[in-house]
Amino acid sequence: MASDYLGSNVCKTCHADVWFNFYKNPHYKSIASGDQLPERTGCEGCHGPGKAHVEAHGGKTTIPRAFSLMEPQAVLDACLNCHARDFGKVNIRRSQHSLADVVCTNCHSIHKSPVPQFLLAKKQVEVCYGCHAAVRAQFAMPFKHRVNEGFMTCTDCHNPHGAFAPTWGMADRPPMMQQAVGNEEPCLKCHADKRGPFAYEHPPARVEGCQVCHFPHGSTNAKLLVRPVTFTLCLRCHNGAGSYGTRNNGITLLSQTHNMLDPRYQRCTTCHVRIHGSNSDSYFLR
Amino acid sequence: MRNALLFGGLFLAQAGLAQEVVAPTPEQAGPARGENTGDYNVVESFETGYRFGVVDGSVGTYRSDVNYGNGIRLLSSNLTVNSRDSHGRWFDQIVLTTVGLGNDPYQSAALRVEKNKLYRYDLLWRLDDYYNPGLPVAAGLHLMDTSRTMQDHNLTLFPQSKVQLRMGYSRNVQDGPALSTVQLCFNGAIYCGSAGSEFPLFMNVRREQNEYRLGADVELAGFKLTLLHTWVYFKDDSGYQENGLASGDNPGAGVTLSQFQRSEPYRGASPYWLGNLTKNSKSLAVNGRAVYVAGRGNFIMDESAFGATPIGAQNQLVQVGGDAGRPQFTGDLSISLFPTANLTLVNNTSVNSTRIDGTSAYEQFNLATQTSDFISFRYLGLRTIANATDLHYRVRKWLSFYGGYHYSARRIEDIEDYANPGGPFSGAMYEQNNHLQEGLLGVRLKPVKAMTINLESEIGRGDRPFTPVSDRNYQTLNGRVEYRIRKLTLNSAYQQNYNNNSITLTSYSSHARNYSANAAWAPRDWFTLDASYAKLHLDSLSGIAFFAGFPQVSAFTSNQIYISNIHAANFGSRFVVKKRVDVYVGYSITRDTGDGRASAVPAGTTAPVSLVFTPVQTFPLNYQSPLARVSIRLNPKLRWNAGWQYYNYHEDFGLFSFYQGYHANTGYTSVTWSF
Repeated sequence: MASDYLGSNVCKTCHADVWFNFYKNPHYKSIASGDQLPERTGCEGCHGPGKAHVEAHGGKTTIPRAFSLMEPQAVLDACLNCHARDFGKVNIRRSQHSLADVVCTNCHSIHKSPVPQFLLAKKQVEVCYGCHAAVRAQFAMPFKHRVNEGFMTCTDCHNPHGAFAPTWGMADRPPMMQQAVGNEEPCLKCHADKRGPFAYEHPPARVEGCQVCHFPHGSTNAKLLVRPVTFTLCLRCHNGAGSYGTRNNGITLLSQTHNMLDPRYQRCTTCHVRIHGSNSDSYFLR
Repeated sequence: MRNALLFGGLFLAQAGLAQEVVAPTPEQAGPARGENTGDYNVVESFETGYRFGVVDGSVGTYRSDVNYGNGIRLLSSNLTVNSRDSHGRWFDQIVLTTVGLGNDPYQSAALRVEKNKLYRYDLLWRLDDYYNPGLPVAAGLHLMDTSRTMQDHNLTLFPQSKVQLRMGYSRNVQDGPALSTVQLCFNGAIYCGSAGSEFPLFMNVRREQNEYRLGADVELAGFKLTLLHTWVYFKDDSGYQENGLASGDNPGAGVTLSQFQRSEPYRGASPYWLGNLTKNSKSLAVNGRAVYVAGRGNFIMDESAFGATPIGAQNQLVQVGGDAGRPQFTGDLSISLFPTANLTLVNNTSVNSTRIDGTSAYEQFNLATQTSDFISFRYLGLRTIANATDLHYRVRKWLSFYGGYHYSARRIEDIEDYANPGGPFSGAMYEQNNHLQEGLLGVRLKPVKAMTINLESEIGRGDRPFTPVSDRNYQTLNGRVEYRIRKLTLNSAYQQNYNNNSITLTSYSSHARNYSANAAWAPRDWFTLDASYAKLHLDSLSGIAFFAGFPQVSAFTSNQIYISNIHAANFGSRFVVKKRVDVYVGYSITRDTGDGRASAVPAGTTAPVSLVFTPVQTFPLNYQSPLARVSIRLNPKLRWNAGWQYYNYHEDFGLFSFYQGYHANTGYTSVTWSF
C-alpha cells in the first residue's frame, strides 16, 4: 500500500551511519530527482515499505526486502526492477552467473563499497578472483594480459551480467564474452590490426576464434601460445588428414621443401609473418 | 568520526587483499569520508615516488613479462568530488583515478563527470609499453618495442530519462619500432623453399583505429529500444626497410640482401548498426537484437629488393593491390519465462552470417631473369544458427536442479581460386556443415546457509569439426564448493574438460583438469589473510605429419604428446601495527613440472626426428615472485611507503638449449598525500 511508504527521512533516524554517506551513492539519485514514485525512491525503493519495520522498532525480518535474508532469485528480481533497462544487462536472465545463483549482492556492496564506481564489494579483479582461482593462477603466469598491473580489467573481455551468444565457436561457448564491434571476439577491441577484413584470412581464427592457438588469460608460453614452440602448434592441424579444413580434404600438409630437421623450418612465423591474415599472400608470407 | 574510521578500516581491509604487484600502495591518505568544500565533498589521495628495477639474465624476457623500470612516477591518484545535495550547478560527481602515470609501462586514467538527469561523461585512457622478443625458435629475428595507447570517451545525455542520447569516441594507436622478416629467393618463384633465405627487416609500426558512436535509448509502453550506429576506421601505415648487407638465416642458398623497402598502406572501415528491443515483466523477459556490419578494407603493397644470388646481382619488385570485404549480420532473440517463483526457463536463438571476400592482384617481377604473374582470390562464408534452452528449478531452498540443451548448425563455404591474368578461374567451391549438440545437467545444494555445493556435467557431439583440435566428442565435469561467512570465504573447484576428435591419423585428444582452492580470512580490521592454490593439468595427443630430411617423397606420421602440470599458489597477508603501520607480504609461484622427465631428451635418444620432437613435449619451468610492502601513516594526510618485489623466471630445459631465464629486484619508495 502506498501509505506503508514512510520516506527515507524516517530511515535515517536510526540508520545514520548509512545515511551519512548516502549522498555519494548512485542510488541517491532516486531521492534527489524528487519525481520518482515512493516504491522507486531511496531506502524503500530497494527495501520495500518501511512501516512494518518502524512499527516493530527494527529487526531484519520486518524489512520487506532484507537482502541478506533473500533468496538469490529474489535479489535479482529486486535489482532488475530498475536495472533491467540497462543495455549491458539485457542478457542477465540467461547469464551463467544468474543460472548459477550468482546474483547482484555476490559482487556488489550497496552501502559499503570500497571502490569509487559500480558499488563493487572489492576491486573488480578481486571480486572475480574470489571464485575463479584457476583464472587468478593464469594471470600470475609469466606471460599474461596485464590485469594485475591495472592496465586491463576482466570486464574488458567479459560481461558478468550476461552476453549475447558468441559468433565464433559453436553452441553457447565460450560464455559471457563482451563482444567487440561486429560481434567479434573481444581480443579485437585492442588488437585492431588482427581484425581485417583481409583478402586472405587464416580460417580457424575466424571460425574457431583466437583461443584455438592462444590461452587468453595467461600462459607459460611466450605470446600466450598453447604450445611452447610454433611448429608443434601448427602441425597439430596442418597434417593433411581427415576431412578437416576449408576444402574438406584435410588441412594443408607442409610442402616437401619443409624439412623439419632444419631449424629454419621449425620457425613457421619467420616466413609466415602474417599468420592472422594477409592482404598480399594466401600463405601469409607478406 | 568513529564511522569514518570504520569506513576507512573496511576500505583498507578490502583493498589489502590479493596484491599481485607491489605498487601502487592501496592505502590512502586523508579522511576516508573526505572534506566538505562549499556544496561539495572532496576525497583525494595522491601517491608519488620512485620505482626501480634491477635485472639479471634475459632482459628481453623480463621486459616482455614485467617491464617495470626506473624513474619517478605518479604511482596512483584518486579524486572524488560529490555534490552534497545532488544539485550541483555544473556537475554532481567527479571521479578520477590514475595508475602509473609518469613512465610506468602500464598507465591508466579513468574519469567520470556527471550531472544528475543531464549528462554523464566517462573517459578511460590507457597506455601499454609493449615489448616482445621473438620466440626462441624464431632465432630472435622478431622483436617489437611499441606502445599501445587507447582512449574511450562516452557521453550520455539525460541518463535518467526515458529518452537517452549516447555518443562516444574511441582511439587505439600502436606506434614504435619492430623487427620483422621477409623471405626472398630472387628466382622468380613466389615460394622459395631451399633456394631462399629469411632476412630481418626494420619495421616502423604505425597503426591507428578511430571509432565514433552515436545512439539513443527510448522507453515506451514497457519496451526499451536501443539504436546505435558506429563508424570504425582503421589504418596501417607501417613501413619496412633494410639498408646494408644481410645474408639471412640460410647462408647455404647464397642469397644476400643489400637493400629492401616495402610500404603497404591499409585503410579499413567497419560501419556498424545495432538495434535492440527489450521487455521485462514479472513473468517474462524478452530481448531481441539485430546487428549489421559492412567491413571493408583497401590495400596496396609496393616492395623492392636488391641483392645477389649465385647467378649474379638481382632486382625484384612486388606489387599487390586490392580490397577485402566482410559483411556480417547477427540476430538474437532471447525469451525468459518465470511461470512460478521456483522455475526459470530461458530460450535463446541466434543467427550469424559472415562473408569474407576480396580481390588481390599479385605481380612479381624479376628484372634480370623472368616475370611471374597471377591473381588469386578467396571467399569464406560462415553461417551459424544456434538455439539454447536452459531450465533452472528450485525444488527447495537447499536444492535446485538446472539443465540445458544447446544446438548449433554451422555452414562454411569456401572458394580458393587463382588464374593467370586474362585466364579463367577454376570455379571450385567447397561446402561443409557441422551440427553440434550439447547437453548440460547440474545440481546445486545448500546444506547450510553459508555453504553452496554445485555439481554439473556437460556433454557435446559435433559431426563435422573444422580442425583436428575443434570440439567433437567432448564432456566436462565441474564441481564447486563454497563456504562464505562474514569474515571467512573458502571455496574449491574442480573442472575437467575432455575432447576426443579422432580419425585415422590425427587421433587428437586433449584432457584438461583444473583443481583450485581459495581462502580469504579477515578476522580483524588489522589483519587479513588470502591464499589460493591451483593445479592446471593438460595432456594432449596430436597426430602430425611432416617431412624430415631432403629430398623426401613421403611424409613422416607420428603422434605428438604435450603434457603440462602447473602448480600455482598465491599467498598474501596484511596487518596493521599500532594503527599506523600497514605491512603486506605476499608470494606467488607458478611451477610447471612437465611430464616429470629429468632432461629434455631422454638418454639414448639419437634418431634425428626424436631429437626435434621429444624436447618440446613438455616445458617445465618455475616462476616465482615474493613481495613485501610497508606503509606508515606519518600524519592524517601523509603516508610513507616502500616495497620490494622479486621476480625469478627459470626454464628447466630451455628450448633447444636456448634459455631465457632472469631474476629481477624491483621496488619503490613513495609518499601518499592528501591536501
